[in-house]
Amino acid sequence: MKSPLRKRLPRELKSEFGKYLVVFIMMAITIAFVSGFLVADGSMIRAYDDSFQKYNIEDGYFRTKKKLTTTQKEDIEKSDVKIYENFYIEQKLTNGSTVRFFKNRKDVDKVCLMKGRMPEKSGEIAVDRMYAENNSLEIGDWVKSGKRAFRITGLVALSDYSALFQNNNDTMFDSVKFGVAIVTDKDFEALNQVKLQYNYAWVYDKKPETEKKEKKMAEDLMEDMTGVVTLESFVPQFQNQSICFTGDDMGSDRAMMVMLLYIVMAILAFVFGITISNTIRKEAGVIGTLRASGYTRRELIIHYMSLPVVITLIGALVGNILGYTLLKQVCAGMYYGSYSLPTYVTIWNAEAFWMTTVVPVIIMLTINSGILYYKLRLSPLKFIRRDLSSRKQKRAVHLSTKLGIFRRFRLRVIFQNISNYMVLFVGILFANLLLFFGLLLPSVLDHYQEEIQGNMLAKYQYILEVPTEAMSGSKLESLLALMQYSNGTETENKTAEKFSAYTLNTIPGQAKSEEVMLYGVEPDSRYIKADLGKGVYVSAAYADKYQVEPGDKITLKEKYERKRYTFKVDGIYNYSGAVSVFMSRDKLNRTFDLGNDYYAGYFSNTKIRDIDEKYIGTVIDLEALTKVSRQLDVSMGNMMGLVNGFAVMIYMIVIYLLSKIIIEKNAQSISMTKILGYTNGEISRLYIMSTMLVVIIELLISLPIEKAVMNVIFRAMMMSSMTGWITLWIDPKIYVEMFLVGFITYVAVALLEYRKIKKVPMDEALKNVE
Amino acid sequence: MFLEIRGIKKSFGTGDSCVNVLKGLDLNIEKGEFCVLLGPSGSGKSTLLNIIGGIDGADEGSITIEGERLEDMTEKKLSLYRRKHLGYIFQMYNLIPNLTVRENIEVGAYLREQPLDVDELLHTLGLYEHQRKLPNQLSGGQQQRTAIGRAIVKNPDILLCDEPTGALDYHTSKEILKLIETVNQRYGNTIIMVTHNDAIKDMADRVVKLRDGMIRKNYRNEVKIPAIDLEW
Repeated sequence: MKSPLRKRLPRELKSEFGKYLVVFIMMAITIAFVSGFLVADGSMIRAYDDSFQKYNIEDGYFRTKKKLTTTQKEDIEKSDVKIYENFYIEQKLTNGSTVRFFKNRKDVDKVCLMKGRMPEKSGEIAVDRMYAENNSLEIGDWVKSGKRAFRITGLVALSDYSALFQNNNDTMFDSVKFGVAIVTDKDFEALNQVKLQYNYAWVYDKKPETEKKEKKMAEDLMEDMTGVVTLESFVPQFQNQSICFTGDDMGSDRAMMVMLLYIVMAILAFVFGITISNTIRKEAGVIGTLRASGYTRRELIIHYMSLPVVITLIGALVGNILGYTLLKQVCAGMYYGSYSLPTYVTIWNAEAFWMTTVVPVIIMLTINSGILYYKLRLSPLKFIRRDLSSRKQKRAVHLSTKLGIFRRFRLRVIFQNISNYMVLFVGILFANLLLFFGLLLPSVLDHYQEEIQGNMLAKYQYILEVPTEAMSGSKLESLLALMQYSNGTETENKTAEKFSAYTLNTIPGQAKSEEVMLYGVEPDSRYIKADLGKGVYVSAAYADKYQVEPGDKITLKEKYERKRYTFKVDGIYNYSGAVSVFMSRDKLNRTFDLGNDYYAGYFSNTKIRDIDEKYIGTVIDLEALTKVSRQLDVSMGNMMGLVNGFAVMIYMIVIYLLSKIIIEKNAQSISMTKILGYTNGEISRLYIMSTMLVVIIELLISLPIEKAVMNVIFRAMMMSSMTGWITLWIDPKIYVEMFLVGFITYVAVALLEYRKIKKVPMDEALKNVE
Repeated sequence: MFLEIRGIKKSFGTGDSCVNVLKGLDLNIEKGEFCVLLGPSGSGKSTLLNIIGGIDGADEGSITIEGERLEDMTEKKLSLYRRKHLGYIFQMYNLIPNLTVRENIEVGAYLREQPLDVDELLHTLGLYEHQRKLPNQLSGGQQQRTAIGRAIVKNPDILLCDEPTGALDYHTSKEILKLIETVNQRYGNTIIMVTHNDAIKDMADRVVKLRDGMIRKNYRNEVKIPAIDLEW
């Protein structure tokens, strides 16, 4: 015979419908969101992974100054690779952005057509979908480059540009000001051929099986190539941010979402746990009688655990249905809002189902059975006597009678509900952390932008491009090239100041290895105001990212070689735009054996117009430096609203449920105080004010904890997800906002609670229970 | 007349399951009188007490206390009425479990501008040594004494006692009755006590016997016996 107790379940559900509905909604929404995310993420990761084969994504690319000769190509291909031309030309469009033009690729890095059609005639263009979206371009629109105009016929995703990095060294991709596009072969040849980049993709004849082998193969290939041709750039696939960034990011987001789900589930499980404890207290007599009549503890545990588990299961199922249908699109949209991903097909994700259905039920089972086992361990007699304390009778905490009765009353309410308030604290911490994150990111980005503007080294940094002949040709060739170079790069601009530069890489560790620009600065520089002498300064971004202090030593390495350099840091230079190192020009030229007169560029506060354009490699101006904040704003800006909304929802639900429990627990006392003649307002001041006090204290305590946690999380996030550095800056206003959001949420809940107090009937006290 | 009860009727439930608990009661109680409502279970005595206390409403009839009609009062006024005039003692004490003895009494004291002195009352109640204890650290008698303390600390005009000794043993019951008697004598409150213990009638000024929702007997007790001498 089935336990007759089960008949209570629907009645319990009916009598506590509001509570169960709230928990159910929160579960379903969280699970829907996470399940939708995991399905979208899983399907997109699959699409992304499959794209390597489907679109024959390159194993790497290299760039040369001149077109490879047939012999050179054949020589390179002897190293078991196949070489494909993947030339491009970059041109500014009239909308202020830069587009990299390609011919259609037929063999390697193939193009995924997302909408419309590929260009067939002259004057037609297919642009990257993401870039088009960010620049409000649609099929049929025209884009202009100089005098040439192209009509957009299609929106595409280039398989080797899932993240639109203009340069592989860039801190962040930029899908607003940078895009890729395909034009017909004829139109490509009609573009400005001076800017033609001899970019080649390579594909290994036999793909490496492991990452380690891939690295080794890349190293060997580079060595082989340098014997054949002078390389301007050499980037194996695993170092190519345009290809790898998306995959890495999707993987890390997944872990974060799953963690979010489990934390929400654990909080809800504890909320249920407290509800159950309350029920056990209320039903102590019944439990004692049932136990005395022969019901086992296990039967009662199963009984009291049934509803939370059933609610979780239904919540998980509804959540999963919503996830697979509605939320999947929303979540996929979030990725499509950042990355140029190819089309995807929804894939049934057994792991996602497991994580969003089975695991939440297990969390609910574990936490609640633990609480129930603990609560039901007392003897039947103790239950019958309502003596639920396992310890000897608790003594009352002494409170001075100098405190008014209302104050003491509130303190007693607080002492009575410590366990509720502890769970509330965890809920507040978690909700506040989400809120903190949601409020923090936009302000960090704004501050970063301002900071960069405030401490730029110079309004413009012109990084010159030394012709390859100067470095690698015969001595005579090299000398001639150098002479031409120095003539072509001289300027009359009065604000210009020469500097030399060299790039090294950091040693991979907690953060990925990244390029560090080492500046060699003139003595008494107008731009770098530091007493460099014989020492080395690191930028503030460097110091903050790698936790370097004056007196420390830093070690950097050559990018493609094993050679390492160690420098002692004398000071920190207030520059947040990049991870960089400063020393005197002499020292830099000497350290890297570049010759006394070597210089790599100019600092200048005005545009330099008299340098031969072909010698200008990069111009670092405000726009280039704020690329990161711009892109993060585009990628994550919208999501922050969602995060904030979710945080407020958690706040409301946790505070509502826990304060509801407190009022239910004290229903009899509330009823009694009503009989005594206390008004609803006075009773609210006793019970609601206690919780309000706790909420205020917990909100305040949570702030420094949030700050410490955010320091760790933000650091870890910045370390793992990007090169370069954004300093964590917390606008004090955020603390006020966090506090106010928490407080206002509580006030909204308090109004509901006030209604509840009003509804407590006076005959509650007349019931024959203690 | 201090308290006038006229034609009070009260029923619970509807249709076939409708039970008429009070079937039209008339009763007068004078100020300072100790009135005992006697009767078996279901006779309507507790219901009558709750209606006098303003925590339940009558279907018909009126209750007037010093000229003020209860049924004309709004919820707010009723609250004020209880606050000013009433003290309540229940069989199950209904103490606030997370407040100490002293604090429970102070909850009552708060309601009056000039309540009785709490320390003095604690002595009178024999609870002074226990004032820092929580209700669950007390015996039944001590809990009931605390409940009495909470009720009388605001020196109410009327003290309503619903089976105050119902959960107590013989000796403790006598102690409590003695205390109530002392309160009545010392502070002059009107006391209405519901009980099914016939012996208690001997200590009352007025005895009202109820059965089936009707007053069967209503008389003044000419020869009162002190609580200490009651036997049952």
